[in-house]
Formats: sequence, C-alpha cells, structure tokens
Amino acid sequence: MFAARCIGVSLAVFVLLYVFLSLLVSQGWKLMRRTLRPSSARGAADLLFTLRVLPLGLSVFVTLAFTLPSFLLLEPRSTGEAIGTASSALGLCCLVLLGAGVARAVFAQLRASRALVGWLKGSALMERHIKESGNAVPIFRIGNDAPTLTVAGLCAPKVLVSEAAIAALTSPELRTALRHEIAHAIHYDNLRKLLFRFSLFPAMAELEHAWSEETEMAADDAAVSSFHDALDLAAALIKMSRLGPVESSGELTMALLHSSTALSARVHRLVAWNQAQKPQSRGRWFYVLPTAAAMIIAAVTTYGSVLSQMHAVTEWLVR
Amino acid sequence: MKRILDLFRRSPNVHFGPLEQQLLSTLWTRGSATVREIVDDGEIKLAYTTVMTTLDRLFKKQILNRVAEGRAFRYSPRYSQTELEKAAVGETIRQLLGSNAGAASLPLSYLVEAVSEHDAGLLDDLQRLLDQKRRELRSEIRGDHRSGDRRSKETQ
Repeated sequence: MFAARCIGVSLAVFVLLYVFLSLLVSQGWKLMRRTLRPSSARGAADLLFTLRVLPLGLSVFVTLAFTLPSFLLLEPRSTGEAIGTASSALGLCCLVLLGAGVARAVFAQLRASRALVGWLKGSALMERHIKESGNAVPIFRIGNDAPTLTVAGLCAPKVLVSEAAIAALTSPELRTALRHEIAHAIHYDNLRKLLFRFSLFPAMAELEHAWSEETEMAADDAAVSSFHDALDLAAALIKMSRLGPVESSGELTMALLHSSTALSARVHRLVAWNQAQKPQSRGRWFYVLPTAAAMIIAAVTTYGSVLSQMHAVTEWLVR
Repeated sequence: MKRILDLFRRSPNVHFGPLEQQLLSTLWTRGSATVREIVDDGEIKLAYTTVMTTLDRLFKKQILNRVAEGRAFRYSPRYSQTELEKAAVGETIRQLLGSNAGAASLPLSYLVEAVSEHDAGLLDDLQRLLDQKRRELRSEIRGDHRSGDRRSKETQ
C-alpha cells in the first residue's frame, strides 16, 4: 500500500505541475519572446525549445528531486492509509497522458524509420560533399521518389539529397543547401521534434510552428557566411519549391522548405543579408554557469525545508 | 472563432449587404457607437431610421452587441474584422467540401488552380528579386575591380 500511495502521489504532483506549467507556457511564450528578444534566430529557436520542453523537464525534476524523496523520507510506512480519491484520479490522468505521449512518439518514430529505410534503398554516399562540409554528418544521394533535400534520423541524422535536387542546383547552391541541412543535423532538430511528440499538450501547436520557423532561419544563418552564399541559398530555396510541394517530406524530418508562407520571408531575409547582422557566438557559459551554481547552492541549503513543505502538500493530496 | 463558425452554420444565409458592410466597418473603426453618433459623424449620408434599421438587423443576425443608453442603444461589434473574414472564408470552403463529390470537384479544382497560380506568381516575384540582387552584386564587384585597376595604374 505504501508503494502504491508513493506512486499515486508522485504521479498526481507530476500531472498537476505539468498541466499548470503547460498552460502557463502556452499562454505566455509570446510575451517571453517579446521580453527577452533573442539577438539571433538560433537564440530564438533555443528559447522556444526550452519553453516547449520546460513543463515536462521541470515536472520530472520536481517529482524526482522533491516529491518522491519527501514521501519516502517523511511518510510513516506503518500507517494503513488508503491512496485517496484525488491522488488516484490524478495518477490515472498522468498515466493516460504519459501513455498517449509515448504512443505518439513511438508511432512517429516507426513511421519515420520506415520512410527512411525506403528512401535509402539504392542510395549512394556522397563522400566528396561530406569531406567538403568538414562534418561527420553522412550525406546520401537518393532517388526521385523521396523528398528533394532533407535531414532524417534521430540519433544519427543523415542528409538526403534527391537526384532532382542535384540536377536542379548549381554547385554553390547545393553546397549552401547542404550546409543548411547539416546545421539541422548538428542540432538534432529531429530528436527535438520527437520530444515535442512525447510532451503532449493541446495548446502548443503555435509554439511548435514558431520554433520550426526560427530553426529554419537559424540553419540559414549557419549555412551562410557571405552575401554570395545568401543569394545561393535563396536560389536553392526557390528552385526546390518549384520542384515539388512543400511539407511532403514526412514525419520527424527537417526539409529545406518548411512551409510556403515562410519561404517568402526567408528569401527576403537572405537577399537582405548583411555581414554585420551575422550573429556572433557569445560565451553562454559565462552567465549560465554562475546561475546554475547559485541554484544548486540554494537547493542544497534549503533542501530539508523544501522536502517537509512538499510532504505537507502531498499529505493534503492523499487525504 | 468557433462561435462565429457556429453562427454561420446555424444560419447559412448570413450575408452582408453594402450598407451593412459600411456600418460594420464604421463600428470596427470606432469600437462602439449609437445611431445618433453615426449619423452626426457625417461619414455615412443616410437617414436616422435607415441606420437604425440596419444596425437592428445586424444585431438580430448576432453580429453586433447592444446596450441600452438612455432612450437609444449603443452598438458594438461582437467579432473583429479578421475573425469574421476568417469565418466567412472557412464557411465557404466547408460548403464547397460539404456538397456532393461531383459538384464539389469543379469549384475545388478552381481553388487549387488559383492557389497554384498564386504560388507560381510568388516564386516568379522572388526570382526577380534574386536576379536583381545578383546583378547589383556583379556590378559592385566590377566597380571594385575597376577602381583597383585604376589605383594600381596610378601607383605604377
């Protein structure tokens, strides 16, 4: 009974926190973006990603670091208390939520792997382009019954280029387009998408769409280092959108073209490219490390009292 | 949004005449107004009773809200312009898809054609912009080369 109560209470706290934080994020992410105003597309994409996964991450952290230990350490094991209606109902909701998230992620991954296996049939490794890119991301030449230019795969992402794309693009255009896709692969954007699938909440679609657009612009920035490159990438975007319909590349992939509405904005952004606007990489650790250290010190020094407060909350839940 | 779509579904003949459109756009600009305020404003040259009847009709169509103010009513739009336009477009497409397959295929094919034409037009515009930028870049480079040559000749 003690174990069942412990699990019930932990799941109940998790679901309450998850729903509260998800609601907060889904309503407040635009305000956060406006307030923080990230200086680059990469910064904006990272901020949106952090906000999107914050409810899940923070709920897991609070459950494992506070709820579970507070119950294990402070709850007397000898009492024959029942689980309680509220905590069992919330625990059940949590299981449904987690189950649906897992199912969504697993099905998406299965569909993506099946599609990737099909696309890779008869493919050839483009060794010259891999050497040129200076990255270990494999680049495959694939048939025309596949997306024109995309990144597929979660933990070991691969860049796929169709015969049609190779025929349509000039050498410099192909080079910048590949650099764009490699940027997606380096940042494991498909894996991030899978995390979105797992972290289920209905009102997050707009935030995910905004993240996709910022990620595309961040990959554009990573691919471009001169005005020539910017024009080549813009030309590649236009040619690729003439080749086939947008968004036909399948699940958990990052195609060169994300949506037709974003195409115009991206081309305009590229033709207005300016060396001075190129985002400079700043030492993020410079301010992240002290903040993390301060948070760890605060958590360690107040851990005991937080545990007893958390236990009081869980007591109220099991009643 | 769902409320407006429901409104369109409940009464499929929600159409706005030119006068209704004119008054709606006035109310979207002003936020709210009484009949007297609209007439006195002078932008709409209509009789008091015509404005009153039209606003009453829009209220009955559930497009406007009204609150009593003295012996008159103060009218305000129930939905924003964007909301109403979105709902109208959504309802049109729903009606197209809702009709039987044979009848729907023709208007839908026109719609797809129009969207494709728009996309192709957009791509052409972007291509023109890109070509212009390429020309500018080429002439810039040529200009740089010329000034470089001139400078080297001068030093020689």
